[in-house]
Amino acid sequence: MTDRFHHPDDRETRSAARVRALEALLIEKGIITSRTVDTVLDVFETKMGPFNGARIVAHAWVDPAFKTRLIEDAPAAIAEMTDLPEGMAGAEGEHMRAVANGEGVHNLVICTLCSCYPWPVLGLPPYWYKDPTFRSRAAREPRAVLKEFGLTVPDSTEVKVWDSSAQIRWFVVPERPAGTEGMSESELAALVTPESMMGVAVAASP
Amino acid sequence: MKLQHYLGGLEGLGPITVEKRVFVEEWETRIFGIHTAMMALSPQLPFHTTPSAFHTVWTWAHLRTGAEGLNPFDYFKYRYYEKWLGGICGYLIDNGYITGEELDARTAEYLADPDKPLPQGGAPEIDRRVERYLATGDSPKRDVAVRPDFQEGDTVTVRNVPTVDHTRLPGFLRNHSGVVETVYPGAYGYLTDTGTDGIGAPMPVYCVRFEAEELWPGNTEPNVTLYADLYAAYVGKPAA
Repeated sequence: MTDRFHHPDDRETRSAARVRALEALLIEKGIITSRTVDTVLDVFETKMGPFNGARIVAHAWVDPAFKTRLIEDAPAAIAEMTDLPEGMAGAEGEHMRAVANGEGVHNLVICTLCSCYPWPVLGLPPYWYKDPTFRSRAAREPRAVLKEFGLTVPDSTEVKVWDSSAQIRWFVVPERPAGTEGMSESELAALVTPESMMGVAVAASP
Repeated sequence: MKLQHYLGGLEGLGPITVEKRVFVEEWETRIFGIHTAMMALSPQLPFHTTPSAFHTVWTWAHLRTGAEGLNPFDYFKYRYYEKWLGGICGYLIDNGYITGEELDARTAEYLADPDKPLPQGGAPEIDRRVERYLATGDSPKRDVAVRPDFQEGDTVTVRNVPTVDHTRLPGFLRNHSGVVETVYPGAYGYLTDTGTDGIGAPMPVYCVRFEAEELWPGNTEPNVTLYADLYAAYVGKPAA
């Protein structure tokens, strides 16, 4: 019983060898190619990632009518931004919705069952989001959790927690930081962190 | 009952580990890529055919069912992608794509020589299909006429459905009441039929608003509301 949670010392090298063995066998047996895994990873470097979400949020900051459309129908509004990469309604983003932080409202996106995350606009979920401790605690005590991320939300602000468990993927439009008047959209996008689009942080200050 | 379904609100846990990386070991990127390729090559999807030898259905539901079926202590013991690696190897062995013996033997080779190169080659159509899947997705929305039983503003109670292997119902919501915030247009299927749990066939999905104080009386924070997207099978009339 005492070794219930024991891991061998070579935990990571064993997993690394096993996954490499698996990839080799799948290539040999004609299931995938020697380029397949890198093809997937390239998509998350260049096409699906938080760089898209940051541009969408920055556009919403400078264009209030766009922000309204984004909240009402996120896929349609995102489709207006024709210079985004293809696939903005692709895997794990077929039905996205956006919620906006504002005066008296703070939004937090979680997935208590696993790790649902809007891939096209945010890429892949970071470890904190998948951590059973976060998933458990954020539902019942979001302010305590946000404090551990360095964000204090007063009791007078309503905290809305969005638990993703059907097929809708949520993201947050954080508030535009003070002191950003006159900044260009691309300068503003640099302030929009992945954490701010899940609601565990606010956008960075300039 | 599977503990994995009931994480929301669990008490007695320590501080959050704020690890912002997506992958903490390089090998995790490879199992993520393999899983995504298997989903893309799964034959029920309407993409071009390829010479890939993959011929059985693999979806998120398979991965999730595996994690939900783990001994709960193992669920917490193993890191996210360790669970993926175990589940995917098990599936590929069970479906006859590889044998456990050849996987063990090849693992031993890479343990002895981690830099031994991977085999090369394969049909480019396979990779094009993987790209197509990522760009197109696999929408669960179905072109089926449904009549939602509830409207926005209705109070509903979450049913205590008999879940078997897999569910999309967060356990902490069972038997609790909330208010329908949104009735999503149209009907949503699911990747598999969850049996007596009730999802799979196209049905409405509701966004339901719960007061945290109703979910955890006297044991939550003020001014917190929780919204959950719930398949119609999980939602019923409140008890009179």
